[in-house]
Amino acid sequence: MIERIVPLHIGSVDISYTNSALLMTIAVVLITLLLMVGTRRRALVPSRLQSVAELAYEFIAGMVDENIGHEGIEYFPLVFSIFMFVLFGNVLGLIPYSFTFTSHIIVTFALALFVFLLVTLVAFARHGIHFFGFFFPPGAPVFMAPILVPIEIVSYLSRPVSLSIRLFANMMAGHTMMAVFAGFTITLGLFGFFPILINVALFALEVIVTALQAYVFTILTCLYLRDAVHLH
Amino acid sequence: MPPPSGLGAGFRIGIELLASLIVGLALGWMADRFLGVRPWGLVVGFFVGAAAGMVNVFREAQGLGRGGPRQGG
Repeated sequence: MIERIVPLHIGSVDISYTNSALLMTIAVVLITLLLMVGTRRRALVPSRLQSVAELAYEFIAGMVDENIGHEGIEYFPLVFSIFMFVLFGNVLGLIPYSFTFTSHIIVTFALALFVFLLVTLVAFARHGIHFFGFFFPPGAPVFMAPILVPIEIVSYLSRPVSLSIRLFANMMAGHTMMAVFAGFTITLGLFGFFPILINVALFALEVIVTALQAYVFTILTCLYLRDAVHLH
Repeated sequence: MPPPSGLGAGFRIGIELLASLIVGLALGWMADRFLGVRPWGLVVGFFVGAAAGMVNVFREAQGLGRGGPRQGG
């Protein structure tokens, strides 16, 4: 549940500092700490923290290089930030009594919309008016355009929606499932032992899902960027 | 990279279908509201959204055998 930690109102707009915002702050601070402390020593034989920082860097750098190409490395900071933010948001939400900000659709939709607008801007900046050719599949007969172009436009506009629903639904479903089984534990009394066992298994599954969904969100960002850079 | 699971692929494709439908309906609804072409915006929007969903599903499914989703025009 969203709780207002520091109530703040400007006019009729509620911009209170909520527990969701608190978790976002914690995520950003932790990411910064991990990378700052991890890269401070720059040892040839890396410490554990340095290994983690390097692993994250190598992973995303490889993904960007593979999916966008060599010129895609200029988008690396963005892709890396998105990956770390979503990953930390998902993982921090697994800690009992904390809050998963990625399980709220407004947060994931804002992230996805940001990616979408950026991708569109990049496509416009790189290709200018040719960008509109994206909405007409090459090789299709011209008289099909009145049908094909709206479909392609809707298909393009559905990207941020599917991107945000995917992340939100996965995080939401996992948490709801765990809450339902935790509820069984209370109602079953003595036999509440069995739902606990299921919850232990579910928790392991959730750990995978958190990493997987951060990965999916990031790789789709990469694929959209590739579309914008290369266009067809 | 984690191994691709059948459930994940199904979930992804289902969401793809739903998202396009939502966008199509939203656009149609807005056309109704602001252009005053009620009820044709919603009708056309529904079909265009459904068609776009099918296109997205098709594209997604094309990339299934080759590991990883591929979006392309």
